[in-house]
Amino acid sequence: MQLLADWASYLPSMLDGLRISLVIAVISIVAGYALGILLAFGVSVRLAVVRWLCLAIVEIGRGAPALVILYLVYFGLPKVGITFDSFTAACIGLSWNAAAYSSEIIRAGVQSVPRGQLEAADALGLTRRWTLLRVVAPQGLRSAIPGLMGLAIQMFQGTSLAYGIAVPELMKQAYQLGSQNFQYLQVFVLAGLVYALVSVPATWITVFFEKRLGVHRA
Amino acid sequence: MDLVNAALAVVKGLPLTLLLAVSALAIGAVGALPVSLGLQSRHIVVRLLCRLCVDLVRGIPIIVWLFVLKFGVVVGTFKLDALQSAIVGLGLVSIAYLAEIYRGGIQAVPRGQTEAAEALGLSSRTRLVHVVLPQAFTIVSPSIATYFVGLLKDTSIASTIVVAEMVFQAQSFARQNPTLAGLLPYVIAGGLYIVLSLPVAFASRRLDARLRRAVV
Amino acid sequence: MALIEGSALNAERVGIDLEHLSKRYGDTVVLDDVSLHVEPGTVTALIGPSGAGKSTFLRCINLLERPDSGVIRVDRHVIEPGKLVTSRDLAALRRSVGMVFQSFNLFPHLSVLENIVFPQRKVLGRSREEAQDRAHALLSRVGLADKANEHPGRCSGGQQQRIAIARALALEPSIMLFDEPTSALDPEVGLEVLAVMRELADEGMTMLVVTHEMNFARDVSDTLVVMADSHIIEQGDPRAIMSDPQVERTRRFLRAVLER
Repeated sequence: MQLLADWASYLPSMLDGLRISLVIAVISIVAGYALGILLAFGVSVRLAVVRWLCLAIVEIGRGAPALVILYLVYFGLPKVGITFDSFTAACIGLSWNAAAYSSEIIRAGVQSVPRGQLEAADALGLTRRWTLLRVVAPQGLRSAIPGLMGLAIQMFQGTSLAYGIAVPELMKQAYQLGSQNFQYLQVFVLAGLVYALVSVPATWITVFFEKRLGVHRA
Repeated sequence: MDLVNAALAVVKGLPLTLLLAVSALAIGAVGALPVSLGLQSRHIVVRLLCRLCVDLVRGIPIIVWLFVLKFGVVVGTFKLDALQSAIVGLGLVSIAYLAEIYRGGIQAVPRGQTEAAEALGLSSRTRLVHVVLPQAFTIVSPSIATYFVGLLKDTSIASTIVVAEMVFQAQSFARQNPTLAGLLPYVIAGGLYIVLSLPVAFASRRLDARLRRAVV
Repeated sequence: MALIEGSALNAERVGIDLEHLSKRYGDTVVLDDVSLHVEPGTVTALIGPSGAGKSTFLRCINLLERPDSGVIRVDRHVIEPGKLVTSRDLAALRRSVGMVFQSFNLFPHLSVLENIVFPQRKVLGRSREEAQDRAHALLSRVGLADKANEHPGRCSGGQQQRIAIARALALEPSIMLFDEPTSALDPEVGLEVLAVMRELADEGMTMLVVTHEMNFARDVSDTLVVMADSHIIEQGDPRAIMSDPQVERTRRFLRAVLER
C-alpha cells in the first residue's frame, strides 16, 4: 500500500515527463515521416548526386544507433559551432532516425504494389506521373501503414534515450525522483508501466489495423 | 592524430559491444523457443499469458529495463552489476522479439508438412523438432540476422548504465577532449556501427533491386 | 522384389468399416451420415464433384479430420471420434494406415533416403541399417534408386510422389489412402505414379483412392464409390456404373468429366 501511495506522489512529475516525451515523439514522427516520403523516392532517382545523398542520409540514420545520433547532435555539433538546446537536439536526432526507417518502410510498401497495376495504367495511356500519384502511391502508402504505426510506437519508446542528453522527459523525471530517496526500483517500474500503458494498447490497435487493411488487397 | 586517438578510444569498447550483442542473442535464441510455443499453445490461458508478457517486455524501452535491473534488483546483498544488468536486460528483450519471429516462422511452415508427419504416426515432439523447426529456422534466419544488427545498435544503450562499450568510450574521449576532437569519437562510433551493419543492408538492397523493377 | 514386405506380406489383408460419419464446419455440412465398407485386399476409387466431401471422408480414416460422430474400424482399431481418443490409439491407428497426399509433402530439408529412413526409425524403432536397406529397396522398386541422396526439391513432381509412396510403404501399413495423388501432376507424369499404384494393387494392398483419373478408376479399382453433396450417392462395380449410372447426379458428373 505504501507502494501505491509513493506512486501517487510520483505521478505528477512523471506525467510532466510523459508530456514532453509525447511532444518529442509527435514532432519526430511528423517531421521524420515527411522527410521519409521524400527519401523513399529520392533513393531511386536517376540523378546520381541526389541518389547518393539520400542513400547516405538513410543508411546513416538507420545504421547508427539513435543514441549516437543524439550525442552527435547535442555534444558533437557544438564543436563545429552548431549548438542546439537539448529538446531541439532530441527532436532533430529522432526525426533523422524516423526519416531513415520510415523511408524504408514506405519504399517497401510502394514496391509491393503489383507490377500489373503499372502495366494496366500504361496500356490505358496514362502518364507515369499520374500513375505514380494516383495509382501507386495510394496503394503503396496503405501497405506501409502498419509498419509506420509500429515505427511510431518505437519512436515513442525511443524518446527515452533523450535521457542521455538531459531532456526532462519521462526517464529523466524517473531518475530524479529515484535519486531523492533511492527508491529506484519503484520509480523505474512505474516509468516502465507508463510506457507500457501507451505502447501496448497502441500495438494492439496496430495489429487490429493490419488485419483490417489486409482486406482490401486486390 | 586526433582521429587516430579517437578511433583507438572507441575501438576499446568494441569487445564489450560484441559481447553484449552475442550474449543477448544467445539468451534470446534459446529463451524465445518456449515462449513462442506458448504463444501458439492450445490452452488459452497460456497463450494470453505469453502474449501479455511479450507485449509488456516489448512495450517498455530498453533503457528502462536496464535501469530496473541495475538499480532495482537488490536481494539481500546481491545486486546485478552494470554488465550483468545489460546482458540480462538485452537478453530479456531479445527473448520477446525473437519469440514473435519464431512464431511467424513456425506458422509459415506449410500445413502439409505437419499433416504428412501426423499421417506417418510421428509423435508431436518428433514433428516439432525434426520437421517443423528445421524448416521454420530456414524461413526466419534472415529475420534473425536483421534482428541481430538491431541488437548491435541497442548495445549502445548500455552506456547509460556505465558499461564501457563503444558509445561509453566515445563519451569518455569526448569529455577529455573538449576541442574539435570531441566530435570525432561520435562520428567514428556511428561509422563503426554502420560498417558492422553493412553486410546485411547490402544483401537486403540486392533483394530489393530485383523487386524494384516492378514499380519505378 | 515386392513393394509390400516384412510383416505386412503375410498378414491377413485388412478391411475398413466406416459407420455413420458426420462432420460440419459451423453451419456447413461436410459429411452427412456417410458409411462405407471396404473389403480387405481391394481397391476402392472415390470419385465425385469438388466439394462433395471425398477428401474430408478419406482424411477421417486416419483422423487428420475429426468427424463429429460415427465409428471408424480399421484392422483391430475401433475409434469413436465422438469419445476420447488417446494419443496411443491415434499413433497405433496411423501406423496401420499409410497416406499419400496431392502435394506430396516430402520433407524438403532431408534427403530422399532420409525421408524414408527417419519415419521408420522414429515410429517403428528400426536400426539405421535396417531402415536404410528397406529404403533403398523401396526406392529401387519405384524406379528411383539413383535419387537416394538428392533432396526432394531437385526431383520432379512424379518422382516426388513415387518417393512419397515409398515413404508411406516403409512403415508397412495395412491400408493405403491416396488423396488425389495425380491431381498436381501433368497427365504423362501422372502415369508413372498410377503404374506404381497398380503394382501395389496387384500385390493385394487394401487401397482407398480419391481421384479424378477415370481410367484408373475403371480399370484398377474393384469398387467405385461416387460422392456428391456430402454423401455417397452410388457405389458398386466400376464398369457397370460408368457405362450405365443409375443415379441422375452420377450421370451428370460422368458426362461432364468424360466430355473434357
